[in-house]
Amino acid sequence: MSVNLGWAHVSSDFMIVALLIYSLAVLAFAGDYAFGRPRRATSVTVVPAAESGAELVAVGAAVGAGSANGADTASGADTAAGQPIVGGPGGGSAGGTAGGVTTRGLPSRRLGAFRAIWAAGPWVRSAVALSALGMLAHLTAVTTRGLAVHRAPWGNMYEFITALTCVAAFFFGYIVVRYRAWALGVFVMGALVLALGLAETLIYTPAGPLVPALQSYWLSIHVTAMTLATGIFFVAAVLGILYLVAERYRARIAAGKVQPGNGLLDRIPSAATLDKLTYRTVIFGFPIWTFGVIAGAIWADQAWGRYWGWDPVETWAFITWVIYAAYLHARATAGWRGARAHYIQILGFASLVTNMLVVQVFITGMHSYAGVH
Amino acid sequence: MFRAKRRTVITAAAVIAVLLAGALAVTLLTQGKGNASDSMVEYPVGQRPVAPDFTATSLTGTPIKFASYRGKIVVLNFWGSWCPPCRNEAPMLEVLQQLYGSKGVSFLGDDVADTPQNALVFDSSVHITYPSVNDPGYAIVQDFSQVVPVSDTPTTVVIDRTGHVAGLVLGTVTYAEMTKLLSYAAVTK
Amino acid sequence: MTDVHTPRSSESAEPADEATGPFGQEDNGEAGGGTGGTAVPPAAGAGWLLWGWRQLTSMRTALVLLFLLALGSVPGSVLPQQGSDPSAVQQYYVSHPWLAPWMNHLGLFNVFAAPWFAAIYLLLFASLVGCVVPRTFRLVGSARTPPPRAPRNLARLPQSASYPSALSPDAAVDAAASILAGHRFRLRRPENGGRPGNGDAGHWVAAEKGYLREVGNLIFHLSLLGVLISIAVGGLFGYKADELVVEGGSFADTTAALDEFHPGRLVTGSDLAPFRLTLDKFTAQYFTSGQSAGEPESFSAQVTYAATPGGQQRTDNIEVNHPLSVDSVNVYLIGHGYAPVFRVANGQGKVSYEEATPFIPANTGTLLSDGVVKAPEASLGFMGVFVPTAVMTANGTLESLFPAADNPAVSLIGYSGNLGMNTEVSQSVYQLDTTGLTKISGSPHLMYQGQTWTLPGGRGSITYVGLKQWVSLAITYDPGQVPALVCGLLAIAGLLLSFFVRRRRMFVRAVPAASGAGSVVTVGGLTRSDASGGFEDEFASLSAELAGQDRPEPNYQSETGA
Repeated sequence: MSVNLGWAHVSSDFMIVALLIYSLAVLAFAGDYAFGRPRRATSVTVVPAAESGAELVAVGAAVGAGSANGADTASGADTAAGQPIVGGPGGGSAGGTAGGVTTRGLPSRRLGAFRAIWAAGPWVRSAVALSALGMLAHLTAVTTRGLAVHRAPWGNMYEFITALTCVAAFFFGYIVVRYRAWALGVFVMGALVLALGLAETLIYTPAGPLVPALQSYWLSIHVTAMTLATGIFFVAAVLGILYLVAERYRARIAAGKVQPGNGLLDRIPSAATLDKLTYRTVIFGFPIWTFGVIAGAIWADQAWGRYWGWDPVETWAFITWVIYAAYLHARATAGWRGARAHYIQILGFASLVTNMLVVQVFITGMHSYAGVH
Repeated sequence: MFRAKRRTVITAAAVIAVLLAGALAVTLLTQGKGNASDSMVEYPVGQRPVAPDFTATSLTGTPIKFASYRGKIVVLNFWGSWCPPCRNEAPMLEVLQQLYGSKGVSFLGDDVADTPQNALVFDSSVHITYPSVNDPGYAIVQDFSQVVPVSDTPTTVVIDRTGHVAGLVLGTVTYAEMTKLLSYAAVTK
Repeated sequence: MTDVHTPRSSESAEPADEATGPFGQEDNGEAGGGTGGTAVPPAAGAGWLLWGWRQLTSMRTALVLLFLLALGSVPGSVLPQQGSDPSAVQQYYVSHPWLAPWMNHLGLFNVFAAPWFAAIYLLLFASLVGCVVPRTFRLVGSARTPPPRAPRNLARLPQSASYPSALSPDAAVDAAASILAGHRFRLRRPENGGRPGNGDAGHWVAAEKGYLREVGNLIFHLSLLGVLISIAVGGLFGYKADELVVEGGSFADTTAALDEFHPGRLVTGSDLAPFRLTLDKFTAQYFTSGQSAGEPESFSAQVTYAATPGGQQRTDNIEVNHPLSVDSVNVYLIGHGYAPVFRVANGQGKVSYEEATPFIPANTGTLLSDGVVKAPEASLGFMGVFVPTAVMTANGTLESLFPAADNPAVSLIGYSGNLGMNTEVSQSVYQLDTTGLTKISGSPHLMYQGQTWTLPGGRGSITYVGLKQWVSLAITYDPGQVPALVCGLLAIAGLLLSFFVRRRRMFVRAVPAASGAGSVVTVGGLTRSDASGGFEDEFASLSAELAGQDRPEPNYQSETGA
């Protein structure tokens, strides 16, 4: 079946449109940082020790500080670096009560998601709207690419990157809605714009058919899983970098080197919150990556006669899996929680990117389907 | 403190040493065996596997039935005109054919992965008189490999008068080995 | 997935120690146990072993080993490996003559079979087993132990709510208990009717749920072990083989026939499945236009096969991604090439050789191929290239424009002399040893299909008669394949359970209302390592359910935020 050039053009156009809209969304997120409503803390009735202490140990923070809070209100209660200020019940979230102290948690979930977004101010509203629009354009681009080539649109490096960034965008959308995490928008969407931009400029491959080895329904299964997992790990990596930045900033505040204010760094959610979000993201991605590796093994058996041959790409997928496993173990090991665990997680993503951009392209093996000449 | 540190080191070293040994064992165990080298296998009377029957075409196109060889000792040689060791031992087999052909020993070649024409060219060039069957797909070899350990070409199988395999030589066979096998095969009780 | 390697010492605190908190201090347990023996020197020899064992099965060791596993895999992907590309290894020796032998000694050209790599994963699995087995016992134990008593002050828990009830405290707690039981919580009620004494005072019920989390954790780790064992079984009892078959040719699955045979340690020749296969026709199609011009579009090998000698003949098309499955053995289409048919005649005109001769592709894109023709009886040998779509470039080199046989040609160099084929020593059918041979004519002789090259000096002639194709098939048998897959899928199931099931506890206490009628019921809940979040929502809905539909909204006190 030959390539449908009409759809191919539509796909290219929508990809550019998505890139543009995402860029505008990043600007809007940045605008929220610069000019937006400061997020207000609300009264706290109970700040529990057990969950935040056992679950969200912030490295460098005085864990004991959590249990001391008791029934204090939040005003001025940024005691220990990294201690999350929690929103109270029912009393409303961003834009609500008095206080005026920057919160470093994420807004309360009492309010419906879209009402909360609306209440967060015009910058957030437009940023989220633009992001959603961009996601739709992106999805259209990916879908029409699939229509153009009559198969799942992740058969070479370019298609893979455009698809995984689409997954990352949608996953971020999910986090924004579920965890009210629009504060992270400028970073995640910014990284997305970078990745998509790179794909468009350096790695662009026109729509074309697949070599016989890739003509299999396993393409839909294995590469889809890898695309999903990579998109999710992408978000986790961005969050991890944010965590390290946030934590270092808190440490410097705690050491008295810097005064806390209302700048960009102050408005990043707390390290503990980021840590929790990252963890939840990774546990989404890890089973999918595992499944992707297994599906790849089944496909390798169908195509090459063996389900595991330590082909360079297979090996690096394994290395990536082991590193993320190490991250999960680190989170349960004293002395390895916090920053160290995030270094591991970021290293895992680095290994994934190495696999994608370096190993697949430059190291010859049976798996060299990047299509990059 | 120092004692504990030393113990750390020693215990760690011991564990690693034990496991390296185990790992070495694992590695050696999982490596496949190489091809069997030149070796002779003999089967005592009463433990001789039944030689599989076959019907095939000779190089010149005439049908050959293996069953018709019952009552004679058969030397079945797997060979190919593309195989230097097979070509090398063929004149020796021809000599044995001359010596023992009238004494109840028949020589038969199983020509594998070859065309009849190429094989005949070789036969005529070194004056081989015993016939060969055309077996381009190793079918007869496969039949025999189910009962005896045939591995590579050349292989020479000696079948006794009752149609049982008395012995075989994997790889090239020497004159001495052949005479030994022939007298071994002659004993059927 | 957390807490695989919680040391034993802290675990014993859990069932009895209520004062420190409803969930004990397990999460912080590693702080004490993980660092191991520097604080407590072992007593004697047996103490060393125990201490060493603790070290091995600690989380920290697992982390280190995981890093080593990842790190150790890197050279296996970057350096050429003996198993997949032996010629690249040879090339490395040539370009690094001093370094290469040392690297070989270190096992760097066969990393994944090297003893040091095996040591890493064996240690890791020993550590895994050393943790999983005791934790299985602990899980069974904790499944038998009832949930802890309800704390006195439920308001101090992370999630708590209270509501008034028209029922007496006893009845209110009973109603709550039955609702919780309906949600499959395990319950604990006070003994001796709630009279003060052993801490069971008051009206309360404690409920616990979520043991599947730990079950999932254990399943995941044990499945990994299962994968390792399956791989080992496959390695011992399985085999891989390669075979090249020309169109029209057939082969029987026996060791003598196979070009390459890699058996597992416990495999002998008679273990091979006795199938037979004939290659009827091979078709390859290539893209003729567009961006992928010259790249393969499809391959199809039409074969007739029988699972047993004399068995029923069947036909099939073997394609990439569509192997043939015969008698638990899989046959894969791995490669293909051309086999031009040559006829060689000697000086007297007698035909000395006539056969389709496989040529091996040197360039997988254009299928320019190398090969040799040997006609020992005519004392002639030829070496050269086959070109499927031949073009003579401007500077006189012969190249192939396209992989399909649109304009096939061969270019040969002839040699005469004793080819050395009547010797003990085996030769590759794809190589000609030209020592002792005389080269005929200076430059290679080009022939298109149907042409004959009459050699000078009356030595004979060679004709390029026609063209066939060949395929190379991989035959594999791996009894560990399906078990490995099953274990892999089980591992994913275990992962999902351990990530998304929370272990949580709910407590309900009722005290008589101040007004005398009815009671005030307090509900408290907490969760241990709520990876995916969402307990808050569960608590809210459970509390609402306990409070009943017609009751006023419970007065929530809970931690919010992400």
